[in-house]
Amino acid sequence: MKLGLAKGLAVTLRTMMKRSVTRQYPDVSPDLAPRSRGVIALFEENCTVCMLCARECPDWCIYIDSHKETLPAEGSARARSRNVLDRFAIDYSLCMYCGICIEVCPFDALFWSPEFEYAAYDIAELTHERDRLREWMWTVPPPPAHEPNADPPKELR
Amino acid sequence: MTAAEIVFTALGVVALGAGVCTVTTKQLVHAALWLVVSFGAVAGMYLVLTAEFVAWVQVLIYVGAIVVLLLFGIMLTRAPVGPSEGLNSRNRFAALLVAGSTAVVLVTLLWRGFRDARIELEPGGGSGDALGAAIFRQWVLPFEVLSVLLLAALVGAIVLSKSRADRGSRTPKEG
Amino acid sequence: MRDVVALALVTVAFLVLPLLIGQTEHKVMAHMQNRLGPMYAGGFHGWAQLIADGVKFAQKEDVVPERADRRIFLLAPGVALVPYLVVLAVIPVGPGQVAIDLSLGLFFALAVMGIGVIGSIMAGWASANKFSLLGGIRSAAQLVSYELPMVLAAASFAMAAGTLSLTGIVEEWRWYWLFWQAGAAAVFFVAGLAELRRPPFDMPIADSEIIFGPYTEYGGLRFAFFLLAEYAGILVLCALTTVLYLGGWKGPLLPDAAWTLIKVFALAFIVIWVRVSFPRMREDQLQRLAWVWLVPISLAQLALTGVVKVVTDL
Repeated sequence: MKLGLAKGLAVTLRTMMKRSVTRQYPDVSPDLAPRSRGVIALFEENCTVCMLCARECPDWCIYIDSHKETLPAEGSARARSRNVLDRFAIDYSLCMYCGICIEVCPFDALFWSPEFEYAAYDIAELTHERDRLREWMWTVPPPPAHEPNADPPKELR
Repeated sequence: MTAAEIVFTALGVVALGAGVCTVTTKQLVHAALWLVVSFGAVAGMYLVLTAEFVAWVQVLIYVGAIVVLLLFGIMLTRAPVGPSEGLNSRNRFAALLVAGSTAVVLVTLLWRGFRDARIELEPGGGSGDALGAAIFRQWVLPFEVLSVLLLAALVGAIVLSKSRADRGSRTPKEG
Repeated sequence: MRDVVALALVTVAFLVLPLLIGQTEHKVMAHMQNRLGPMYAGGFHGWAQLIADGVKFAQKEDVVPERADRRIFLLAPGVALVPYLVVLAVIPVGPGQVAIDLSLGLFFALAVMGIGVIGSIMAGWASANKFSLLGGIRSAAQLVSYELPMVLAAASFAMAAGTLSLTGIVEEWRWYWLFWQAGAAAVFFVAGLAELRRPPFDMPIADSEIIFGPYTEYGGLRFAFFLLAEYAGILVLCALTTVLYLGGWKGPLLPDAAWTLIKVFALAFIVIWVRVSFPRMREDQLQRLAWVWLVPISLAQLALTGVVKVVTDL
């Protein structure tokens, strides 16, 4: 028991001698893991308005508007129709960061970004539109290699 | 009147007033706190009489320990904020009579015994050295007898608490 | 004139050094827990944190609970704080450098330090809150049991020096006291910590069970007074231990007052270190430590001191 007292003192003294692990956040930005769930970014060029994300979302926080455009095809072929995205918005006051939309997207149009500094003074300002979501795409880091010593991911090539 | 006499008288008035408050207040804890004031004033009177050592012992033992023990006891049993009824004893007149007659006897005794005698106060007369020499050279026998008395009280207290503990009260085990 | 300057210096020390100890506690405790502690107030490593705290406390509303005993509730912080200021006046920082040189300085310091606890008992009772009352009762129980070993340990130093004057004790101090009086020093320091209700002896204010003990109902400046009293208490305890056991201002090269300050702050560091390292003691463990360990150790130390004193005098 008496030894335990000395041990306790030794532990605290040793900890004091070490550098503390605190990260001084606003001054020093934290280095977050590549797949951190900060915000959902939209790579809108990949989006086909399939609506899977909006339908799978448990919170119904994704708003998608679109219209159909027909493109005249060459020759006598039938005219092609195409979905054009008019609005893509995510209400982050409802989003619970489950990531189902990202999992479910068949065309790799949604990504996790570690960006987290988008607090707002009003709850309405937490609904972010497509241009903002597209901007966050630049903060999405390349995914880490699946295995050690594997080829770098194709996004890096 | 010299400055010392004025201070002495003032302290005496404070001590007496605090004492009266102690017995007349309706609030139990206030009584204990008035006692602190009274003890403090008495300590101040000792200081004026150059009995430094006795003064600090008065503060250490009475204010620092006895009153704390009193407060502890009061708070452990009952400590209502605000006046508590039933503090007035029905014997108050008998008590007043006893207190008054004791005071009269003591004052007459001192008056008749010392009447005009004046004790010259010299600084250092009540210092630790002087008091230690007096107790352990001149008055060592009464001092030792007193310590035997205190020892008897201590043993008595242990016996009382032990006999109660044996009757099956639960005490926390060593932790 | 000299007295006025000395008392002014004591007041300044009373206002500055406890804050310094408090800031040291912030930082040392943080680093011992792998944190940084305050970093913003004042710019450089948060040096002005406690000043900022003081400003915050001063802005707060002065709340007195409705059922409380108003006068005693308001008086308690003062009763807790003032005794330490008074004790500080008799502590020597150098040969002859003491505001009030009492021939019974040791007794004076011990007597007045005991009064501070009455403040917390008053606070505990007057708040009309059951947690406060429990805290007050625990304070009283703690004071009653730790006062005895503390006085006995202090008596050992007085016997060794042959004087009750704090200046005299330092003058009589020799290096071998470090071994000879080690038991007394340990008892004195531990009992002092307990009397200040510092962790691991903070059962009276155990925040996880009785909220904040006697100070539960306090806020604003009056709460700040209690906090200041705690740090002033650390200062006084460390200064007394320095004077009694570490030879006060004695030391090579540096000026006298510097040595006193170095020793006081080394002891204050130990106070903080102990606080960070050990968990709170349970009430019965507290009482056990006092009566089963500290009192016998201090009595044995008294016997040792007496024997050595008599043998060397022969």
